[in-house]
Amino acid sequence: MRLSRLSLMGFRNLEDQALEVPPVGVAIVGPNAQGKTNLLEAIHYLETFRSFRSVRDEQLVRIGWTYFRIEGGIGESRPLRGTEGTPGGFRARVVAAAYDAQTREKRITLDGEVAARIGDAIGAVGSVLFTPDDVRLVSEGPAERRRYLDVLLSLNEPAYLKALQRFRQALARRNAALRRGEGAGSVAAWDEGLVRAGAEVSLGRAQWIERHGQRFSDYYQEASGLGMARMRYESSLLGVGNGGGSHGHGSQPHTLESVEDAYGAALERSREMERRLRSTLIGPHRDEVRFSIDAPEGGRDAREFGSGGERRTIALALRLLEADTVREQRGREPILLLDDLFAELDEDRSRRVLSLLDRLVPGQVILTAPKESDVRFRRRLLPRWRIRGGAVTTS
Amino acid sequence: MSVIDEVTREFGRLPGIGPRTATRLVYYLLKGTRAEARRLAEAILALSDKVRPCQECGDFSEADRCLICTDPGRDRSIICVVEGAFDARSIERTGRFRGRYHVLGGRLSPLDGVGPEELRITPLLGRIRAPGAAVVEVILATTPSVEGEATAGYLEGMIRPLGPKVTRLARGLPVGSDLEYVDGSTLAEALSGRREM
Repeated sequence: MRLSRLSLMGFRNLEDQALEVPPVGVAIVGPNAQGKTNLLEAIHYLETFRSFRSVRDEQLVRIGWTYFRIEGGIGESRPLRGTEGTPGGFRARVVAAAYDAQTREKRITLDGEVAARIGDAIGAVGSVLFTPDDVRLVSEGPAERRRYLDVLLSLNEPAYLKALQRFRQALARRNAALRRGEGAGSVAAWDEGLVRAGAEVSLGRAQWIERHGQRFSDYYQEASGLGMARMRYESSLLGVGNGGGSHGHGSQPHTLESVEDAYGAALERSREMERRLRSTLIGPHRDEVRFSIDAPEGGRDAREFGSGGERRTIALALRLLEADTVREQRGREPILLLDDLFAELDEDRSRRVLSLLDRLVPGQVILTAPKESDVRFRRRLLPRWRIRGGAVTTS
Repeated sequence: MSVIDEVTREFGRLPGIGPRTATRLVYYLLKGTRAEARRLAEAILALSDKVRPCQECGDFSEADRCLICTDPGRDRSIICVVEGAFDARSIERTGRFRGRYHVLGGRLSPLDGVGPEELRITPLLGRIRAPGAAVVEVILATTPSVEGEATAGYLEGMIRPLGPKVTRLARGLPVGSDLEYVDGSTLAEALSGRREM
């Protein structure tokens, strides 16, 4: 994919402007607090229709304004070999998102047509974002990692988003029934919906982890230069210690039916506990992705025992896998969005990461850097934009 | 507030009527005669004076029991359970159902504080258990949403032990649709609910 044009109105501190984005991409250079990240945020908003900084839409509206509007023209660099003319194949399109803070109404259009549901329009840009905050994927609680998978799979696998929405609906209602202290029968009424959607969610995540496990280890090794890391999905529905991992010892592959059965049985066992705690205790909302860094005496858990650099490298490998997923699922080169990527990587690691990125993600790249000397990626290739007080100069 | 504004606002509160339609209705009525206005007003008043829930099925009725429940031509052995009276009208319009209805008055929705006690479930079980009732089939015609499915699941658990066959409206392909445009989950439902020809 390729972003060809970006128009902004009322968004954060950014000046209202229409920008033509060069096919190779651009390096946005400017001191801190001038709006570099806001610009990437606006582009990424067109992908997920919410801020990657997890703030509410009203906070994205420029102070003193009542609404914002972002419009992006998406073009194609070139289809990957073998995907020409595939269904859903590429054509130029225009994605726009507008939010009115007074009516709290969000309007999303694809080629001028209003998208009835956000799910119909997400993923139109095909971008992958790397930010210094990515380390939170490893250092924060499990909710952060589940969210990573949920966003990734929702953008790339249409059926996943539907299952996730059904699961959340059933979970919210079942929890409300438990909180209200309703009888066993009317709590159990939600079980079937919960189990059917929940099994799809857990299995979808586990299968993604399994398919990408080996490549995760490879990327980690290449970026760090030494050491090994593994990831695995842990779910009470999939059996402890083998979250669909590729190194499972003699375990049966999971099917949707087997996961549904396990989920149903687990709910049955925890019914009494759930009644007392008034909350649903089993399901994908309790699953976890674990990263371990191999040491001679076995794995170290990266969240608890990883160094800053190790955690950063794991987060980076996850983003690279995200780019792979965009390519696999949509058959297009993703747009790379790099927010001040090398702020906290040491020299050696930076060099290895750069060459990895350059090799793996050859498409358009839009990056930010505080000063010229920080533009270290495709530095001869990328045109420069300067940004001051929200105004972009494209010169 | 002027009378025109007041009536416009009242119309505007009705479902499917926006401010423009409300205004158009008011100006239409202003052009009519007093007798026409009175007829409309009295008809609306009669709605709340005369209509009440049928004691048997919960549908709207002008008598203690509604026209369907008292119709000797309707099959008493089949009950079709719907969320609201409007749903019963929709099924009636198909002309394919000759049994009787039971209106729940909503569906399970714990987030809105609607549990089983808030629905007309006890009267339904009462109808099935009543001496000499001989209900052989209960059709659950709740909407195919997360909440409608849960409601149906709950009812099934309550009804099956009482003896009748419990069935659910089929889910699948809309009539006149094109297979190519049907979404995956609907197609999956249609496949698992396929019928022998």
